[in-house]
Amino acid sequence: MALFLAETAGISVLFALPRFKEGQFGGKIAVSVTDFPKVSDAPVANNLGKFWMVTTDKGLIANYKVCTHLGCIYAWDGLANRFACPCHGSQFQKDGTYIAGPAPRSLDTFALEAFDQAGNPVGQSADGSPLAVPANAVTIKVNTGLKITGKSHF
Amino acid sequence: MAIIGKRLVNQVKTTGLKATVAQRADETFQRLTTGLSWDDVRGILRGDPPPKPNPRVKPHTEGFWFHIRPTFYHEATTTLYPTFRLGLLSALFFAIEIITGIYLMIFYTPSPERAYSSMIDIITNVPFGMFVRDLHRLGAEVMVVVVTLHMLRTFITGSYKKPRQFTWFTGVVLLIMTLGLSFSGYLLPWDQLAFWAVTIGTSMADAAPGVGPTVNLLLRGAPDIGAGGLLRFYLLHVVLLPFIGIVFLAVHYYKVVRWGISLPPEMEAVGEDSARKVSPDKRVNFLPDIATNEIMYIAIAMAILAISCATWYRAPLETHSNPLVTPNHTVAPWYFYWLQGLLKIPHIIPFLPADIANGIDKFFANVIGITPKVLWGIIVGPLVFVVLAVVPYVDPNPSRRYGQRKIMLTIGGLFTALILYLSLAGIPTGVPITGFGFVGGAPSAEIGQEFMPDEGDGNLMRIPFDQMVVGDYQVTADANVANAPELNAIIKELYYDMQRRMNTADPNGRKLSADTVAQVKIAEIQPDLKQITLVINYTDDQTSAAQEFSKFKFIHRDSEH
Repeated sequence: MALFLAETAGISVLFALPRFKEGQFGGKIAVSVTDFPKVSDAPVANNLGKFWMVTTDKGLIANYKVCTHLGCIYAWDGLANRFACPCHGSQFQKDGTYIAGPAPRSLDTFALEAFDQAGNPVGQSADGSPLAVPANAVTIKVNTGLKITGKSHF
Repeated sequence: MAIIGKRLVNQVKTTGLKATVAQRADETFQRLTTGLSWDDVRGILRGDPPPKPNPRVKPHTEGFWFHIRPTFYHEATTTLYPTFRLGLLSALFFAIEIITGIYLMIFYTPSPERAYSSMIDIITNVPFGMFVRDLHRLGAEVMVVVVTLHMLRTFITGSYKKPRQFTWFTGVVLLIMTLGLSFSGYLLPWDQLAFWAVTIGTSMADAAPGVGPTVNLLLRGAPDIGAGGLLRFYLLHVVLLPFIGIVFLAVHYYKVVRWGISLPPEMEAVGEDSARKVSPDKRVNFLPDIATNEIMYIAIAMAILAISCATWYRAPLETHSNPLVTPNHTVAPWYFYWLQGLLKIPHIIPFLPADIANGIDKFFANVIGITPKVLWGIIVGPLVFVVLAVVPYVDPNPSRRYGQRKIMLTIGGLFTALILYLSLAGIPTGVPITGFGFVGGAPSAEIGQEFMPDEGDGNLMRIPFDQMVVGDYQVTADANVANAPELNAIIKELYYDMQRRMNTADPNGRKLSADTVAQVKIAEIQPDLKQITLVINYTDDQTSAAQEFSKFKFIHRDSEH
């Protein structure tokens, strides 16, 4: 009886878990390398993928637009040169590092993969570190199904 | 047919038409009332004492609808005290919600493209649509209140003790179902209020270690709330949770009837439960007395609900949900303020210095490995319900008398006070007077939020349309626009609010700069459509740069404000 219930529960969970296709949020979103801003420029928003495209001197980062505190959408404050969340005042640097506020950790990021003109993979970052872009990279795929949790600041 | 016709004709021939009709009518009547003849019913309505044998128990023994209802109550349970009829009212509001919900289901579509417009359709284009929607919304909020009061009453009268422990347990499950139903329904209008309140609520599920992200995906159908989430919440709201609720309500009520409604504590010996042993002189029969009493309570409750919806109550509908913009001061529904307050521990403990509060956060995160959000939201939050559920099983005191239950009653009182305090601390403006739990941005943004909130009305929007005289006005203490006393009053109110924020720091220590000036600009951009803009020029306290805060809203002559 218990086994039957466990099996039913397992199948129900597997049934109910959503699946994502490429080009859909939850799957991989492809952007051109040139869509990313220059190092000195403000981050660029990608609303389909719900991430900020950020270029640092170490490479590219895709910050998930959802604040790590309670799920609000934080905004870019150009005057103060940082991300700030309207809900409870959490602040983060351009690369996602926590500055102040009730958020428990730095911003979450998505895994990145770089591809050349022919579609061959030429680089990837799956641990949250910036993606150093090779010269022949043309397309960056942001994997919105693979979220890398930001570092706790405690 | 031929046989029935023959019998009927024979009967008419033998006894006459009038007698046949009377006999047939009485037979049909008895079938409909499961055994009560017309004379029995007349006797009930007249208030005659019941005959022997008593036919008034037949609807209970032979009928389906009255089968679970007791045939009599102990007279001590029929007055307002001790039950206040809260159990009846809880079930009544559940029924109201189901019925009004079914009406709303005729017009509502649970898809992001159609949800909001179907809501507008209901409240503008459907006869009594706004009324039914308001009934449903107000009914849901009142149900949460009534269910909580019912639980509080049961606790205070000690009615959860032996043999009613399991009844209490099913009651806690019903409380969770009520809150779950309220929360799942909250998302359905698909406006900003709904979308963000539920996003924040489900993001707590995401924070749970291990299973969190999977639970989040299951609830939302995607990493964020969208079509999948709306449909899943809809199914929870109209199928799964009502089904579980009805099953547990059936068990709960069966147990209530099985053990009987507990008598006032002072009437019983300690440890005795005599609810079912009722001597005939203390019995109040269900038909007609309890039934009419219940009808009265139902009528009063429904009258209050309907009159409220017809007059002062209006269920909110904010602007269409926007997944890219979070409005300022986004909050959970009021029955979850306590959860929001929990998340702010230890920063809302009175007199606790901020350093120690931060130290506590660090200790839990680094030494124990649990972030504050997980500790207070995922662990302590559900723990509240676990604690409630086990109360009857850990309470060793057999007495229900108030004088002999001082410890438990004190604990209950402290618990209630704690929940109230956490609720106050949970709102963005924090606990009144002390400001604990305050979350806010720059003072200029806070003024904008107070007078012209992102969602809903502020004082600036409530000025009568004709008193919104077109022009640009400096915010000073002596605003003097002709024929616009309310506009002048609001401008003065703005001025004094600004002065207050210049002189007194907010709970975060921020003040409005002393050189702040503000303007209210009103323009008529189309016939009967005005735009109100609030502009505040100030010096930012953090960067010392000159800043301008500007916020505008539109208002039409026929807008509901």
